[in-house]
Amino acid sequence: MTDVVIAAYRRSPFHFAAKGELAGVRPDEMAAQVVRALVEATGLDPATVEDLVLGCAFPEGEQGLNMAKLVAFLAGMPEGTAGVTVNRFCGSSMQSVHQAAGAIRMGAGDAFVCAGVESMSRVPMMGFNPMPHPGLAESFPQAYISMGETAENVAQLHQVRRRDQEDFAARSHQKAAAAQEAGRLAEEIVPITGPKGKVVERDGCIRPDTTAEGLAGLKPAFRQDGTVTAGTSSPLTDGASAVLVCSADYAKTHGLEPLAKIKSIAVSGCSPEVMGMGPLHASRKALARAGITARDLDVVELNEAFSSQAIASMRELGLDESKVNLDGGAIALGHPLGASGARITGKAAAVLKREGGRYGLATMCIGGGQGIATVLESVR
Amino acid sequence: MNAPVSPLPSTRQDAAEGPIRKVGVIGAGVMGAGIAAHVANAGVPVVLLDIVPGGAAKAVERMLRADPAPFMHKSAARLVQAGDIEGGLPLLADCDWIVEAIVERPDAKRDLYSRLEDVRKPGSIVSSNTSTIPLAALTQGLGEGFARDFLITHFFNPPRYMRLLELVRGPATRADAVEAIAAFGDRRLGKTIVHCKDTPGFIANRIGGLWMQSAINHAVDLRLTVEEADAIMGKPMGVPKTGVFGLLDLVGLDLMPHVAASMKAALPATDPYVTGMREHALIARMIAEGRTGRKGGKGGFYNREKSASGESLKRAVDLWTGDYRDSAKARLDSLEAGGKDLRALAEHKDRGGQYARAVLLDTLGYAASLVPEIADSPADVDAAMRLGYNWRWGPFELVDRLGPGWLAAALREAGRPVPALLEKAGERPFYRVEDGRRQVLGTDGEYRDIPRPESVLLLSDIKLRTQPLARNGSASLWDVGDGVACLEFHSKMNALDPEILGLIGKAVAMGKKGAFRALVVHNEADNFSVGANIGLALFAANIGAWGEIEGMIEGGQKAMRAMRDAPFPVVGAPAGMALGGGCEILLHCDAVQAHAETYIGLVEVGVGLIPGWGGCAAMLRRWSEAPKAPRGPMPPVAKAFEMISTAQVAKSAAEARDLMLLRPTDGITMNRDRLLADAKSRALAMVEGYAPAEAKPLRLPGASGMAALKMAVEGAARLGKATPHDEVVCAHLAETLTGGKRADHTADTTEDQVRALEVKGFMALLKTDATLARVEHMLETGRPLRN
Repeated sequence: MTDVVIAAYRRSPFHFAAKGELAGVRPDEMAAQVVRALVEATGLDPATVEDLVLGCAFPEGEQGLNMAKLVAFLAGMPEGTAGVTVNRFCGSSMQSVHQAAGAIRMGAGDAFVCAGVESMSRVPMMGFNPMPHPGLAESFPQAYISMGETAENVAQLHQVRRRDQEDFAARSHQKAAAAQEAGRLAEEIVPITGPKGKVVERDGCIRPDTTAEGLAGLKPAFRQDGTVTAGTSSPLTDGASAVLVCSADYAKTHGLEPLAKIKSIAVSGCSPEVMGMGPLHASRKALARAGITARDLDVVELNEAFSSQAIASMRELGLDESKVNLDGGAIALGHPLGASGARITGKAAAVLKREGGRYGLATMCIGGGQGIATVLESVR
Repeated sequence: MNAPVSPLPSTRQDAAEGPIRKVGVIGAGVMGAGIAAHVANAGVPVVLLDIVPGGAAKAVERMLRADPAPFMHKSAARLVQAGDIEGGLPLLADCDWIVEAIVERPDAKRDLYSRLEDVRKPGSIVSSNTSTIPLAALTQGLGEGFARDFLITHFFNPPRYMRLLELVRGPATRADAVEAIAAFGDRRLGKTIVHCKDTPGFIANRIGGLWMQSAINHAVDLRLTVEEADAIMGKPMGVPKTGVFGLLDLVGLDLMPHVAASMKAALPATDPYVTGMREHALIARMIAEGRTGRKGGKGGFYNREKSASGESLKRAVDLWTGDYRDSAKARLDSLEAGGKDLRALAEHKDRGGQYARAVLLDTLGYAASLVPEIADSPADVDAAMRLGYNWRWGPFELVDRLGPGWLAAALREAGRPVPALLEKAGERPFYRVEDGRRQVLGTDGEYRDIPRPESVLLLSDIKLRTQPLARNGSASLWDVGDGVACLEFHSKMNALDPEILGLIGKAVAMGKKGAFRALVVHNEADNFSVGANIGLALFAANIGAWGEIEGMIEGGQKAMRAMRDAPFPVVGAPAGMALGGGCEILLHCDAVQAHAETYIGLVEVGVGLIPGWGGCAAMLRRWSEAPKAPRGPMPPVAKAFEMISTAQVAKSAAEARDLMLLRPTDGITMNRDRLLADAKSRALAMVEGYAPAEAKPLRLPGASGMAALKMAVEGAARLGKATPHDEVVCAHLAETLTGGKRADHTADTTEDQVRALEVKGFMALLKTDATLARVEHMLETGRPLRN
């Protein structure tokens, strides 16, 4: 069976929704600029790309219709490239990678652009017309539980102290700031040109001077007597990301140097009220499918939706924090819902290669009660 | 310039009219920055320069955070271009009017003016916001050309809110420059222009300063407490409730010595202002200790301290020891006896009466002695004190309340000179009504009509010369000319009651019969209407008169619909607060011409209720038709819900546009005195071809939308932002705004169906103890109960 590899990874800068520098950029345009840059960087013939698989958590408004095909047009992909928009909330663009991997294994294509985008400025979380099923909302309200509430539940259930959440968040900012300073983020960033010609090159959410002490002054954001604050939550963010997923043969033929190969994948449901523990279930499955354990991992990208769930997930999975999110996580970088999956998968692959490790894991929690995970292996 | 002026965004266009199209302000202190902000409020671009590098930009930042806000809308800040005096003067090259508001030193001002001569364009006007320096001293040595273009424009703090603008012209000042600034100040900035003579402190600060000095001196001499002094000054004399010591706390005690010094330098040594000056050891000590009033944080004459149990305690200074003690309400026989009768107060023998008499003799005697020295007419002096110091009555109106003869006799008895003007008045009052016109006594002893600026129309003037078309205890209908009628509320606080609703119905019936062509809903009280009379509702609820209450709600809906469906245009012309039912009246008008300082909102949830007179249906309609709102069944519901559930009140007419409480087509008038005229012309413009708006159905989300709103409220409850009863109120609001359980966005929901839900929700809530507790609390304290 042919191996599936991640051959390239790019993303836009990530900026705060509404007040950040990307608030004025349409999501389809932002995604197209990233896709175009990815294709140009790899030098591949776009006609060989089977499908543009685009993750998005609230695909309506400017993110509506079949945005993937529109992005293909905007990015100058040839007519023959197909496009599909995928929604698994926060896991959407990791799902893009999984769909491509499955198709390649099926022999249903050799190369896929797997992208994700979310403008949380331009399409609100919950969408413009939130209309839950009134019966389900009555009989099983946790189906629609708010994310902040789940973070509080996880903190309570897993005894994650507020101070620990703040230490973790501060470290995330420090790591991200160090990576930014060292130019490690610039390598993956595609400058985005706004409608008025303004070019945005750097991430906007990182606050290098964040300290645990400073965060201790914030008020709880979701529950009056809670422990989770805006500082220990990932911010509402605008951003896009993309990876090139292809068969090992395709990479070889086209002179691409893969970052990593995809060893195994998994998704799993969990209790919606503690959706933050989704990585636990999905990662266990994926690790088992890869035939390895958490101890074998050299690199982990764990999406930091909230400090509480990241800490509890690491604890329960037995992950070594020194191997997790080396260049900072979503608390510092931001979490544009549909774009985060491709970012952490591409990032895990790139860091695995950079650090010279063997196994990597990218995993994330998903609102509504799910987790998704991808195990990567170095290409030797 | 007759068109109604609306600040945002339509006035960008208006700004291109008239001789003042761009303004410069130099000095970004409290006054300069506030003036610049207010020019921007008028939609006119303004350059703001400061001596401190970056100071002007910082001032704009500060103003965007300040409360009360100097800007009527945050977007107005974009019209302010900030810069430094050093290097920034060329930015003034295309300004038509340059206002100087720098340090009060004639040399510094003259130096700046001479630098201005190099940059300003020919024909531009320069003015100073000085409060004490005579014009002659400012133009000295600057040449004739400058003197021709120069005048004093004295604003009051805060410039957005205080309605007085004192103008002083010099002998050389061009008449057209004075006219241009007066017109701009009146129509665009909304100020009442009072022309003053070139004398120290002009009108308001000359008299106001002496009054404060006198009020402090006599309080000390007569051993009054600060609470007693402020209580005597307050209601009986019509001074704002801060009285004199509270006012000193507000403006800052440290300002007093500066004002006194500059007045002393400018006035003759024999002037009562100068002879009455005293250095109070207590005030010197308080300033030395940093107890300079509210802005210092260490208290002033009043202070708030935390008790051991964490309670906030009001404390006041003992004028003898200088130490704080618990604040105590003033209890004086004279206050009781003279509450409404100023002369009874001034004749009372207790120390409160003696105090009132002493301060009145000083202040009113002084004011009478200064006409015509500082102003041509007593009416100008009164206007200045009403609008610059927020006195309810000006000095000559106070004289009339005492009786001019009484005052002259009292002065004589005290061995003090009787001013010539007072002698001339004899027993005659300063004001009278003759042939339906208000007249004032002049220095020549003759009465003359009080002049009104061109095209100003005041209901109070109309009421002097006509009889109402209809009237009951709470409302009247007036003929305001040209076939336009004006519906006036005059109940207590303009609370809406069955009588007002009745007169609305009657007015519509009269209009249908051709009694008039258009109707304006307007009054000249402080507030358009604070909402429905909830006291009546509480009374009815307490005796279980549910049928009557339901009748009142339905009656209100009927009145609103009648207004909206009337075959003639109805224009609302509010100023001040338009809350709850007052807001609902505006929502049912065909158009609104609002004063810029109008505060509109649906605040019913504050008393545990929901809008019941069609306010919910009207807001759904507004948001459904909003061109920029996202499409679909939820956005209008969510927008209306957010605003009503948080009892959001727009803090200006410009902000009300953001909330769709005013439509983009509704007008805004800056000068309150021009509101009725603007509303009337708007109404007349709508007469030809008028047809009432068609009632179109709504598309509402029903149960799905209700579920979404419930989740949002639960989130707020977890954060402690929604109380348990808020959740109950919000559930009824959600049911109403989503059209109820059976509504579906593929089918029509009529406004009548929404209105029926309003009644249902309103009645259900009024039957809860928590809502009744909120209503009672509001009636007792004036503040919402968070239960």
